[in-house]
Amino acid sequence: MTQRSSNSLAQEPRYELITQVLRSNISSGLLPAGLVLLEGPIAALMQTSRIPVQAALRTLAAEGLVHRFDGRGYLVGSPDQDLAPLRRDIAAFDLNIPQQVDDALQTRGTWKHFYDEVEEQVALCQVFGEFRLVETELSDYLGVSRTVVRDVLSRLQERGLIRKNASSHWIAGPLTARTLREKFELRAIMEPAALRLAAPHIHYSKIESYRDRIGVDPTLKPEGLESALMTYCIAKASNTALVEMIQTNQMLLTSVNHALTGLGLPEDEIALDQYRTLFDLIARHPIDSAAEYLRDHLHIMASKNLARMKIVAVISETVGFAPYLVLQ
Amino acid sequence: MALPPDANQIPVLAAPAHLPRRRLRVRGTSITLLKEVRERAQADLGFDVDYELLDFITCQRQAAMQPDGYDIYEQCFHNLDIVWFWGALQPIDTQRIADWDKITDLSKEGGISKYAWRGHGDAPVRKLYVQPGGFLGPKQGRFISMLPTVHNMDSFGFDTRVFGNGDVKRPSWAWLLDRRAKGRIALVDEPAIGFFDAALAAEAAGELQFADIGNMTISEIDGLIALLEDRRRQGYFCGSWRTGEEAAQLLTQDRVSAQSMWSPVYGHLGKMAEVFVESAPLEGYRAWHGGASLSRHLAGAQLDMGYDYLNWWLDGYAGAVMARQGYYMSAPERTKAALAPEEWAYWYEGAPAARDLLGPAGAVVVKTGAKRAGGTYQDRANRIALWNTVMEEYNYAARAWDRFIRRVNEGQK
Repeated sequence: MTQRSSNSLAQEPRYELITQVLRSNISSGLLPAGLVLLEGPIAALMQTSRIPVQAALRTLAAEGLVHRFDGRGYLVGSPDQDLAPLRRDIAAFDLNIPQQVDDALQTRGTWKHFYDEVEEQVALCQVFGEFRLVETELSDYLGVSRTVVRDVLSRLQERGLIRKNASSHWIAGPLTARTLREKFELRAIMEPAALRLAAPHIHYSKIESYRDRIGVDPTLKPEGLESALMTYCIAKASNTALVEMIQTNQMLLTSVNHALTGLGLPEDEIALDQYRTLFDLIARHPIDSAAEYLRDHLHIMASKNLARMKIVAVISETVGFAPYLVLQ
Repeated sequence: MALPPDANQIPVLAAPAHLPRRRLRVRGTSITLLKEVRERAQADLGFDVDYELLDFITCQRQAAMQPDGYDIYEQCFHNLDIVWFWGALQPIDTQRIADWDKITDLSKEGGISKYAWRGHGDAPVRKLYVQPGGFLGPKQGRFISMLPTVHNMDSFGFDTRVFGNGDVKRPSWAWLLDRRAKGRIALVDEPAIGFFDAALAAEAAGELQFADIGNMTISEIDGLIALLEDRRRQGYFCGSWRTGEEAAQLLTQDRVSAQSMWSPVYGHLGKMAEVFVESAPLEGYRAWHGGASLSRHLAGAQLDMGYDYLNWWLDGYAGAVMARQGYYMSAPERTKAALAPEEWAYWYEGAPAARDLLGPAGAVVVKTGAKRAGGTYQDRANRIALWNTVMEEYNYAARAWDRFIRRVNEGQK
């Protein structure tokens, strides 16, 4: 396995990733109804402990994809099907595990512990200008070895949050309107194209259920809808290279958005309506209308993000930065 | 709480039953928050008007982040890019503005005539109308973000002992970076205002060229800051200012020979008024447009008071007070009616003052025979080079500007 320390799924809790893998393999029919799912063999296959596997199985049971029976483990399928238990080693099924999920499952080093904190600090500082990350300071700040710090830095680099300058210093920012504009231009080119390619593979029932929750379920935020659009539509495109480019392009936007919201910037309520229209188009119309709408939607999102990039100017630099970040 | 020792000597009276006085809270700047306006508004409207007077930057920040602290926001169109998008304001229904049709085309269309050059940057009309999706834009509609009121075309002021009286050699923004004024130059510290004074100066001096001065790129911003930094190291700047009082002080202390200026400051220069005059720059003006907005929390009776106040602003009296400090009104007809003919002739028509003219507070601000620099309203409005603007890269520019100004004020080497 190649040591790829970064992808967008690496942030997801482990049980979520395992749930995703099992869910998609059940939905596709690769894991047949009646198959007995045991924690131990799944944990071995996924190279994890049993705890996240337990959580994944409970989630799938709640979704009705697996159920308890008169024996150890769970059976694939719903209880009303009255299935005979099918006992076979799960490893023999050659499960379809997307590369990204696999990577995310493999690359949980100790650095994962504090990565999120560092990422947030690094994403945030760029709003205020150009910063240098001092490796020794970061190592002191986290209380870890330089080796672990380098893992963190290489992951930040892969997410597009930092780069090396001519004198080999790690540099973050400045985040500018131009960066945002360019990233959104790329999104408007790639994502509608991916949506078209994904049309035959879209998880339509999921999209319908999300659409029906918009405006009804107050916990449903634009970020959740954006991620559903990615998971159930765009990521289903038959061109994995394209999907990977789309995901990489979004990484900086996601971290910055998160950082800005953390600063107290208002969230966008109008976006919800747009997602409702978009999900409705995906669910009910030829994919071309949805792809057109997605492009318009991304155009509006770009304007919103550029407006947000202006209003952050009133936030003073006295918010303070972690000691390993030095304003250039 | 402990009672004061002589508490038992204070007679306790039964408080008469009374309704709390109605009160409207206005947050704004020295542009419009004048005692003369407030007192007349209270008398005409029958409720208290409370003022919270802040400098531009503080006002903008607090309006954006604490909208519950005020009912009316009186500031400029360019900072709607900040305050509106923080979600601090609510749309104004033009059907509730009685004199909406009396507001001029400069405010509503973007130029004083169909053929007038709009100026670089954001003409106020580009932030005026509420568009679908919560954006602001020039496409006309019923709802607006800010009621356009007072506006002006700004320039810099210069010392005639250094530059001559401007007749032989016409004033140019380049004078803000001129060697002759080295050590005696000050800029207004507001990144959507002073930044552009500096940009106009850099371009006029032939030091830099901007593809679009109203929407600079990162490298253009870096270039401008580098130039300013170089001049700062050479000792060109003696300071910066945020309020008209600070600008006047720099002058009365005889510390500047060229600086950014706001119109009312010219009325407070004392004997310096003889040598320090307003320019009508070759390159044109840096214009701005002010107005009043409704805080998002206003509703019911309080919202009605807000609309009463907005309508009152267009009624003439406020426009007359504004004219006496050199500012134009979006609804000039009623302003004209509220001004003496000599006042109107001087401030709007560029005619020589037929008599000494008084400022808002009653002091003489214009001597008999003086003429307003730049001429008539039409002439000045036709020569707008640029509007105060919150550019796309504002966050970057404002932070670079702040650091530059800090160094100017600390006198770092």
